[in-house]
Amino acid sequence: MKKINSVLAFMVGLFLVTGLLAQAQDTILIKNGKIMPVVGNPIANGSLLIQKGKIVKIGTDISAPADAKIIDAQGMYVYPGMVAPLTAVGVTGYPGAGSDTDEVGVSTPHMDVYDALNPEDDCIDVTRIDGVTTVMTVAGTRKVINGKTVILNLEGSLAENMVMKRYAAQIFNMGAKTQGKYPSTFMGVNTLIRDKLNQAQLYVEKQKKAQQKDKKKKDQAEDNQEKRNLEMEALAPVVMGKVPALFMTSDEVQIRNALEIIKEYKLKGIIYARDGILKYVMRLAKEKIPVIWGGTTTIPQRWEPFDLNYHAAAGLAAHGVLFAFNESGRGPGSRNVRRQPVPASLSVAYGLSEEEAIKAITINPAKILGIDDQVGSLEEGKIANVIICSKSLIQLSSRIHTVIIKGKIIPMTSFQTRLRDMYKKVVQERIQKQKK
Amino acid sequence: MWRKIIMLAAVVMLLVAVGSSAQDLALKGGMILTITQGTIENGTIVIQNGKITALGPNVAVPPGIEVIDVSGKFVMPGLIDTHTHIAITDGNEATDPVTPQIWMREALDPSSDAIRKTLAGGITTVKTMHGSANVIGGVNVTIKLKYNRPIEEMIVKGVRHQLKMALGENPKRLYGGRGRSPSTRMGNAYVARKAFIEAREYKAKWDKYEKDKAAGKKDISPPKKDLKMETLKMVLEKKLSVDCHTYRAEEIIWIIDFCQEFGIDLLQLSHCIDGYKVADVMAQAKVSFGGWVDWWGYKEEAYDGCPYGFKIMHDAGVNIVINSDSADEGRYPYLNAAKVLKYNDMPEIEALKMITLNAAVSLEMEDRIGSLEVGKDGDIAVFSHHPLDSTTRCLMTIIEGEIFFDFDKESIMVKGVHQ
Repeated sequence: MKKINSVLAFMVGLFLVTGLLAQAQDTILIKNGKIMPVVGNPIANGSLLIQKGKIVKIGTDISAPADAKIIDAQGMYVYPGMVAPLTAVGVTGYPGAGSDTDEVGVSTPHMDVYDALNPEDDCIDVTRIDGVTTVMTVAGTRKVINGKTVILNLEGSLAENMVMKRYAAQIFNMGAKTQGKYPSTFMGVNTLIRDKLNQAQLYVEKQKKAQQKDKKKKDQAEDNQEKRNLEMEALAPVVMGKVPALFMTSDEVQIRNALEIIKEYKLKGIIYARDGILKYVMRLAKEKIPVIWGGTTTIPQRWEPFDLNYHAAAGLAAHGVLFAFNESGRGPGSRNVRRQPVPASLSVAYGLSEEEAIKAITINPAKILGIDDQVGSLEEGKIANVIICSKSLIQLSSRIHTVIIKGKIIPMTSFQTRLRDMYKKVVQERIQKQKK
Repeated sequence: MWRKIIMLAAVVMLLVAVGSSAQDLALKGGMILTITQGTIENGTIVIQNGKITALGPNVAVPPGIEVIDVSGKFVMPGLIDTHTHIAITDGNEATDPVTPQIWMREALDPSSDAIRKTLAGGITTVKTMHGSANVIGGVNVTIKLKYNRPIEEMIVKGVRHQLKMALGENPKRLYGGRGRSPSTRMGNAYVARKAFIEAREYKAKWDKYEKDKAAGKKDISPPKKDLKMETLKMVLEKKLSVDCHTYRAEEIIWIIDFCQEFGIDLLQLSHCIDGYKVADVMAQAKVSFGGWVDWWGYKEEAYDGCPYGFKIMHDAGVNIVINSDSADEGRYPYLNAAKVLKYNDMPEIEALKMITLNAAVSLEMEDRIGSLEVGKDGDIAVFSHHPLDSTTRCLMTIIEGEIFFDFDKESIMVKGVHQ
């Protein structure tokens, strides 16, 4: 019995030690790189020290601690990891196995995408080795009210290790009318949203009153409490202005409708737009409403100039609108989150400064999502999400050499690199065989 | 009398009109990326009657030809997209899995705005295609993007057009969903085989009739014309070639074998997600890869899309072509070419060929387009920066010596929104 106990104790000890080892953060020194902090000036031949998952020092002359792993970034650029503000990374699943976004219903604000997160989603590796280190993942976008989003740093063997922020936003879709069912028109969509927000306001009021009563009569607390309503509970922090309300729009009418609702209900609003944004730059700037701009590659109407949308980001920047790019292309479920630099490149070609373009895929989305105190730039004290690449981030031929997330060096592999390695061999072997 | 004079005047005016679009033009001072013969710094290129007549660092421009100064700009052959669906008003005759009687040229819309938007990215030639609903769809049409010109001016003459075939999920889903065949990959294969066996028989009947007729036999009557079979007969006679939409490796091998069995010229495999897995087989069959760089996973058969596969195909000797299959991405193929270099170790020129010369090869037009050489068509794109620099933009698109896009006349950055 004693023996068993000591074996057990040894095993427990072993678990503890290995557990601690797994959590131990590397000390990493990146040196000789062109450091692009995104906020502040680039540092030529700079160094960046990472300890315990954080950036602890940036400068030109940092001596390496004894235990540091040194990465020589000679001739390369060092950027913060990119932030993609509207994705399905973690829930894309295997096609044919059923998607975990877009639960049935027109109003499902209580759906929490955290409940479906799969840390083995192939899309995670594919996305992060191309330099996107932080994403906001949505529960859906196709219904009028869609659910709770979650922000992830793309490192961690368990879903909870990846989570940076729960319920980061609620998603409303201004164009989500359905055929033959309410709401089947834009008026219907607006009415449904107002209806739900009114109910949520009322719900908050009633909860407040019930709590006040509770203080007077503690013993009767149960009777006084409103019956719980999960849908309203999910919307309560939205109408209280605590959780951002992100409005999906696909044309100028929907942008206007979203702006009206944000104003009317004093919401912490974010506009996601795929078209028609240039008409609203003045108002967006004045009302300080940030924009996730997903329309750089939207083809303009036939009477509009060919480069209307290529140029739109330059327009947003010129008026001081806080904006981020999101290359959702064929929808957030498209899996091609790694294409974040594409709209940035096109926008620079058509008038945006390179500096603003890079902000719009790093610090700006972090600001919009309220995580800029932790990620989105290279600053001392921030989470060490760092990428090293061969050229500027907006050059689509730029190679990502190293990705560090939360201070951990990420293996540069994905199922796609495994396919490459496998079929390179298979094809070469067949060619060799034929030669003989 | 008056009528005759008016007629004569009309004829004269028409001749003048044709004469004025005589398509003579010279570009001076540019960095010329010839694709086949290196880069010419500070070069001049002369186009006469729509063809390149001179090209080099010290070329004298014949008198009377308009000269455009492109100093500091990059001059390259007009870009080519061998898989798009723009400029057609209909895409899919989705009523039967075998519809070779459908010709996409019948749905061409020369005033389609997508042509203008595409021209703005330096694209001059596209193959616009039937959709992928049917195992045997319609005959695609290769066109020059001559916006608003008569259809006959747009359609490229003297080349084989290509029949569209499609395997895999799309025909399966469409017809299976209607409770009819094909609903499986076996069904797709059967449908294609049955059609071409019938076409062989049809061709044999006509061949016999023509032979008998030539021999002067009497009392013979021609077989009944069947427009479906007429097209397939043209394929068997190699008057048409084939572009097949495939995703999976086993389908790629199947269609290559099938075409060899029937003596069909298979020129391109479109989408071709798994192409890298059977790169050696494709190279041997001399069939071009037509596809994207980084799309993957938008459906089951697209799951293994791999941007690193280009190097495997290149090393095996596959002719690689970047396609858009999209009015959106068809506007900036040069950005996709740059992405190839992100994922694959290969020379820049190889990436440029994927949107120019390789595409021309896939269309059997490499003697006419895809590079800048004397004797080739005067199809040219002028860019602000090197086309593989992602901050580049197209400044001018020229087809056979005629300017079809001019940034200074069309950009919002020059003329504003509402003008």
